[in-house]
Amino acid sequence: MNPSYPVVVMEVPSALNNLEGQAFFQEIQPLLETDRPRIVLDCSQLQHVDSAGIEILLHCIEEAMKRDGDVKLAAVSPASVAILELMRVDRLFEIFDTVEEATRSFHAVAAPETPQTLPWYSGNYRLGEAKAS
Amino acid sequence: MGLGAVVVLTMEKDTGVYAGTDGQQQPLVAQPLGCVDVLGRPIVERTIQHLLNAGVEKVTLLTSKDVFRNCPSLANRLDKVEVQLVDNPYSAVNHMLSRYAEDGIDQAFVLADNVYAETDLLDFVYFHREAKKGITRAFDQEGPLDLWVVDCADFSRFDLEKMGAADGDAASYFIAGYVHRLLHPGDLRAIIADSLRGICAMRPCGQEVRPGIWVDEGAEIDRRARIVAPAYIGCHTRVREDALVTRCSSIERDCCIDFGTIVEDSSILANTRVGIWLDVRHAVASGNKLLSLKHDVLLRIADPNVMRFNGILPNEETNDPSGNRERAAHPVVSKIQPEAAPERWQLGANLIQG
Repeated sequence: MNPSYPVVVMEVPSALNNLEGQAFFQEIQPLLETDRPRIVLDCSQLQHVDSAGIEILLHCIEEAMKRDGDVKLAAVSPASVAILELMRVDRLFEIFDTVEEATRSFHAVAAPETPQTLPWYSGNYRLGEAKAS
Repeated sequence: MGLGAVVVLTMEKDTGVYAGTDGQQQPLVAQPLGCVDVLGRPIVERTIQHLLNAGVEKVTLLTSKDVFRNCPSLANRLDKVEVQLVDNPYSAVNHMLSRYAEDGIDQAFVLADNVYAETDLLDFVYFHREAKKGITRAFDQEGPLDLWVVDCADFSRFDLEKMGAADGDAASYFIAGYVHRLLHPGDLRAIIADSLRGICAMRPCGQEVRPGIWVDEGAEIDRRARIVAPAYIGCHTRVREDALVTRCSSIERDCCIDFGTIVEDSSILANTRVGIWLDVRHAVASGNKLLSLKHDVLLRIADPNVMRFNGILPNEETNDPSGNRERAAHPVVSKIQPEAAPERWQLGANLIQG
């Protein structure tokens, strides 16, 4: 992943239910539609999350991954982590203690600056010569 | 030289209350932890049985009306026990000891419901008689226990309300055996794990259908569910397809573990329905409440599809609109078929892994 793409930190509302979740998703949707979205959800204010809220989080990560991006969670309260575990969602998200750690994690595993542009079977790899020899 | 016992059952010490990380006091269960079913029977019932087996002639259970109302099944189970409903159970102990003295009972055990101790009770009594101090308090490695032997005639010296104010005069009896205090719902989990691992003498109810797997009367376990030893499945509990119960987990009576749910290192207390495709790990669950021991937090689940008390909503299987589950409708014998060999085509039909 190219580190030049910005990391966006977004605060999750205190309640992530059907009503609040829809409003939250409308807010985050434009970010998810960018190229390679890199989003950190600051869950420090999050106190109540239900099945609808979990579904919205799943929808967010699904949209981000479709575009080769990722959504990471930060500052999640123990109660919210317990709910994520109960729903088996915890393994889908990377969860960090602080927003800074989550932001740093995007830079830590950055891909090489010069991406490979040529396929391995192209002529420049001299596959033909290797075969002839 | 008769023996008596006074068992004090109360929630005054917040034994059933757990403080969440948000500082709110929330009860996981409405009754004292000693009255909660543990592997089929409440701890207090096991303790009373232990007392009766040791030759105690008269057992009195002192409790308040509020506590007793939350333990409706207790009265039916304790047929040999006199239950006294009082405003303050601790202050009623002295009165009860004086009555014992009048009835010719010389010594009596006095204990709270928050102690589970495996010890030779008669040895405790003999020690008390030899000490000649009137009061003997039990200790273990962690300190004093709410378990005494007292001379009934000397009851005035006994002040349970102050919890050991008379300790200066009391003899100390050290219990080297298995002792567990029930001060937190997590203690239930610990004692269940100890029992299933064989660390203590407490045994689950029901039959051991495979080594380490205990199944109580009327339990229904689907062929595609997996139970990994050691584990306990309680009376009239249903474990449905693709569910997994593992790592010293216990499911108490009248529960339902729905499709694909994993119960790992957890205890599901009585009358709890756990919904489909959930992951209950390192937790104690009761109704719509889940205490995560890993995160030290108590969750209240509002969505009844996720977790709820069992039997409140209509029973889907019998289409009973009243929601009342008729026990007679369930087979008396467990539906588990340990001897039946799975068909070749049935993937995952390996019901139990011992």
